[in-house]
Amino acid sequence: MSTADITPENAPPRRGVFTPELLDRCISCGFCLPACPTYALTGVETSSPRGRINLMRALETGVLPDDDPTVLEESSFCLGCRACEPVCPAGVQYGELLEEWRDHLWNGRRRPLRVRPLLWAVDSPRRVRAMGIVRRHAGRGGEAPGPVNLMLGCFERFLYPRVSRDARKLAAELTAPAAQGCCGALHAHNGELGRGQELAQELGEALPGTIVTTSGGCGAHLAGVLGPERVKEFSQWMVERERPLAATPEEPSLDGGGAPGAGQAAGRRPRIGLQDSCHLRNGLGVWREPRELIASVGEYVELPSAAACCGAAGSYSVVRPKDSARVLDPHLDEIAAADLDVIAVVNAGCYRQLQQGVKRRKLRTRVVHIAELLAGAGGRAA
Amino acid sequence: MATLTGLRGRLDEVVGPDHVRTDEGALVTFSTDATPLERGRPDAVVFPATAEEVAGVLRVANELGVPVVPRGSGTNLSAGTIPHRGGIVLVLTRMNKLKEISDAELVAVCEPGVRTLELAQAAAAQGLLFPPDPGSQSTATVGGNVAECAGGLRALKYGVTRDYVLGVQAVLPTGEIIRSGGRLVKDVAGYDLRRLLCGSEGTLAVMTELTLRLVPAPEASGYGMAYFPDLAAAARAVSRVLASGVLPVTLEFLDQVCIGAVEDFAQIGLDTSAGALLIFGQDGNPVVIEHDLERMAGACATEGATSVRIAESPEAASEVLEARRAALPSLSRLEPLTLLEDATVPRSRIAEMVEYIQEVAQRYELKIGTFGHAGDGNLHPTAVLDAADGSAVRRARAAFDEIFARAIELDGTITGEHGIGIVKLRYLERQLGADHMALLRRIKAAFDPNGILNPGKLGS
Repeated sequence: MSTADITPENAPPRRGVFTPELLDRCISCGFCLPACPTYALTGVETSSPRGRINLMRALETGVLPDDDPTVLEESSFCLGCRACEPVCPAGVQYGELLEEWRDHLWNGRRRPLRVRPLLWAVDSPRRVRAMGIVRRHAGRGGEAPGPVNLMLGCFERFLYPRVSRDARKLAAELTAPAAQGCCGALHAHNGELGRGQELAQELGEALPGTIVTTSGGCGAHLAGVLGPERVKEFSQWMVERERPLAATPEEPSLDGGGAPGAGQAAGRRPRIGLQDSCHLRNGLGVWREPRELIASVGEYVELPSAAACCGAAGSYSVVRPKDSARVLDPHLDEIAAADLDVIAVVNAGCYRQLQQGVKRRKLRTRVVHIAELLAGAGGRAA
Repeated sequence: MATLTGLRGRLDEVVGPDHVRTDEGALVTFSTDATPLERGRPDAVVFPATAEEVAGVLRVANELGVPVVPRGSGTNLSAGTIPHRGGIVLVLTRMNKLKEISDAELVAVCEPGVRTLELAQAAAAQGLLFPPDPGSQSTATVGGNVAECAGGLRALKYGVTRDYVLGVQAVLPTGEIIRSGGRLVKDVAGYDLRRLLCGSEGTLAVMTELTLRLVPAPEASGYGMAYFPDLAAAARAVSRVLASGVLPVTLEFLDQVCIGAVEDFAQIGLDTSAGALLIFGQDGNPVVIEHDLERMAGACATEGATSVRIAESPEAASEVLEARRAALPSLSRLEPLTLLEDATVPRSRIAEMVEYIQEVAQRYELKIGTFGHAGDGNLHPTAVLDAADGSAVRRARAAFDEIFARAIELDGTITGEHGIGIVKLRYLERQLGADHMALLRRIKAAFDPNGILNPGKLGS
């Protein structure tokens, strides 16, 4: 088919799966290919953003059916890291297209089985609160919302309760009301776009004013629903707030207890790397801020793959553990090669992913959230 | 299709079943490249790892009479990598070994699937420069760039890909593996097949190893910019610069439509009242750079530039270059469909050609912005329109028919660097003539007697 053959009269009808303006944006230049982690793994166009957009277009025009195995596989193989967005000259909002894709495909029986219990757990604020009930996170004081509210997260309050406590230690003006549920990012990324937006709205009502989140992924989803002026990721908020860190001396003493990497790094500044949160970097454009904060407490080391997805990718590490580990491997190689004292994270999923990877490889590097790092509590058990 | 029965099995035997795709989804994603509106569904996609595997695939294809379309990253803009007659797409991205960079011999040896930017970065790490820098260099492969004879922004001073190909290993469509050229700067043994293959658009042979010439990296670079009331004044300035003994590394221009689009999108403070923006640059020794930039600024002022600025810092230089970098992204955001062309005319006819493009755009009620390489006359008239508007698509085709015809009349060419592919084959005879076309077909037949390699394109 050539230019001459395509006219509105014979253009294939659209099924309405995708927002036309989003799907039409792609000019097929292929500039996204080198940015895509799954293209790097496979070298196959089909597993690249441009290839997936071609699959979406085929789905939209009925060239491929909903149950095409390649379409299903690629909708799940994609990490959803959105690394393709900043390099796109045409401004394709790939993350939104992916959400629409999964919303259409994964309704009902085609949703990956392993995602279902996760979504169930975070679907109700009551269950989310129950997850945190045995853990000492910051939201146990029964506070009413203030002007700036700290989001506790769903899995984060259960897995990493220290993060919210340390965030509060660093910024006393943060209130942490207990009555808050999940932000809905997991739903939105796993085929329940509508429910994901509802949960974000509910959280927006539970936490009026500014919401500060310690997870980049939640931040990007919330900002997408509530607007970026209401939602700030922790490091972004700390830098914008322009105040000296409450609990961190400018040049931390490393021979005392409590400092990151204490004991092994006596007498020198710790070497600290960062794992960017994909949605924080690619969705909200926040990447300078955490680097700036890290440089205030140690020697910042930029890993070659710092900006690339670590493979956690929301629920991806649960749904596709093998692929997730393959995506993580080069990061672990780099952490080992750089002999880091600390690798800092800005997202709960990356926290878990790197912790497990570092443990598996028996590396000496400690994984800490940036709030823990700044509060001088790095690496100690919560 | 009877000939396709058993194709999958035969290909599996050559490269292994993990490296053949015949699922409908994969076929969909290899039906297109970066060319708008063109598509063609292949029957199989094959990913060979060695020259021997490439030869095996070609022998199978010859035997079965199945078309083979070689492909790198698929950034082609003339539909040259689209399998519009079906058959096998032969993807060379698994052959991505960068075998050697020699600073003593000033050569690089690599497989075709190495990305061009990767090669350039590896060369830079050793103080060397691989000059061809097409806009797609971050994605495009060296093999694809050689097959298309890619140009780029530095062509006036450094030439194009052709000028950097010292030797090739290639597999003929009938399966034999040949070498032409090698590591030598001087080598006249036989016809210059490596140069014939460069720009042959995957119609004569499949290149499986490339030996490329490198040059010492320049010490530094510097940039400046000038606004002109119209393109004619900018073009006169370009002529004056070149006549003054300066050979700049960069001479890029944006017309008024592009300036407006960039400013709307990037908001970098461009003067949208200007008729043309000229960006000039030089690389080499810092003393030479300073001297040349001043001479270029002087030439612009003499020819009526309304303002001239030399970037004093790398940050300022980056700002200057941003206007050019943002040209295509800015235009492409205006409408869903972006038709990026590359009609090229002698330098002295640039202003005339761009004026003609604007006249055509008005006549056909189209938005066409033109930017490009003022130093070598390579223009990028870029039409933006709604793909769903059939009338606009037809008008754009008619407009480009006239633009290409005019380029030929002005002693130019229908394509400076994107290639003929499918989309420009119908204009080629007008430029080359019937005898030349017949010769191309005889050359094609000598290489590919059964016509299996990228059929229906160059040489057909």
